[in-house]
Amino acid sequence: MAGSALRRLMAEYKQLTINPPEGIIAGPVNEENFFEWEALITGPEGTCFEGGIFPTKLVFPPDYPLSPPKMQFMCEMFHPNIYADGRVCISILHAPGDDPMGYESSAERWSPVQSVEKILLSVVSMLAEPNDESGANVDAAKMWRENREEFNKIAERIVRKTLGIPAVTQV
Amino acid sequence: MESNASQDELIIQQHREIEREISDTIKLIGEKENLSTLKNEYINDPVYQKKILDLCNKYENIRRTRPDGNCFFRAFGFAYLEHLLDKKDQYERFRELAEKSKDQLIALRFPKFTLEDFHDVFMEVVNAVGEGGEERMSELYRMFNEQGYSDYVVVYLRLIASAHLQEKAEFYQNFIEGNRTVIDFCHQEVEPMYKESDHIHIIALSSALDVGIRVRYMDRGDGSEVIAHDFPEGTAPRVHLLYRPGHYDILYEKNPSS
Repeated sequence: MAGSALRRLMAEYKQLTINPPEGIIAGPVNEENFFEWEALITGPEGTCFEGGIFPTKLVFPPDYPLSPPKMQFMCEMFHPNIYADGRVCISILHAPGDDPMGYESSAERWSPVQSVEKILLSVVSMLAEPNDESGANVDAAKMWRENREEFNKIAERIVRKTLGIPAVTQV
Repeated sequence: MESNASQDELIIQQHREIEREISDTIKLIGEKENLSTLKNEYINDPVYQKKILDLCNKYENIRRTRPDGNCFFRAFGFAYLEHLLDKKDQYERFRELAEKSKDQLIALRFPKFTLEDFHDVFMEVVNAVGEGGEERMSELYRMFNEQGYSDYVVVYLRLIASAHLQEKAEFYQNFIEGNRTVIDFCHQEVEPMYKESDHIHIIALSSALDVGIRVRYMDRGDGSEVIAHDFPEGTAPRVHLLYRPGHYDILYEKNPSS
């Protein structure tokens, strides 16, 4: 079974290398182990995460692509759909029925014809448009709804941190 | 709430692991057994005893499948390919249909890149049935018990069923409960692995492939007969399945018609 998973992951890696989606670099951490990937995601333009470069980790199960991978941000993050420990909580990372957050019925779920690329693109949209109904981080969801200015400030600080630039001192 | 969601996720995961552990002890596709072995399972159950008696008048053997939510698709895939082993004409028709199905799926906007892998493996299994000699049966059995092949066949059959539902969405919309569209239903109930099958899955697959399926329903209902349903209605059955609540196994007739 791991044989077909490996074959598929190698094919996806090749595809992502030849034809990378804008603002995303992804591949195995080391080519000895195709079941653990690193992906760098650029914060989408025109959003509070613009300019940030976010390191993430994807871990694939032995029965991939029958079951979805798990994904985690490896940097500090403050976002309604990302847990405090960095785990990403969006519908495409769940098989139907396995969704503790109770996503909308029309939300896209995992199935074997989905791909790493589809996940990463969903994560980019998630950065641009958080879903404050499914609060993996309740504080972030609340602030996103009620105090956007404060939320943007925190996002900006995180963006600078990912780039290694010190925070702006308030004047 | 955060810890609750995490907790829920853990529970779901644990639940799934337990289910897997149980089901992993059962072969994906078992050996052919005499149907009378069913009697031992329901020794103190007069309702089922009567029904098994009825079943034994019509059928000789049973082949069990792993109860992992994929049993309908896996049972159908194996039973139909086994049926085709010595039916050259029907085999050729099916092979051609299977070959062409890829373009049909791509036309329905299934992603070509991920689809191809499943189609290739599916065709490898289909071709193994057409080629070779004496060992074809044991080769089919081996492939269906090797997860890499077996699960990919299931995935592909699910895609074929999904494609059929989407092509005839206007008709099938009438059978879908709740506020879901046919596409939502396909994404949530048909395409993902381990999701159990209902009538609509069986109608979709049998219609898409134009292969008759007879399902024998064994439940606690009145009567001593095990009721048969043919899909699509009025079609000569090529595959016979036994349904017990939540699960499908393969049945073999006493005097098989072609």
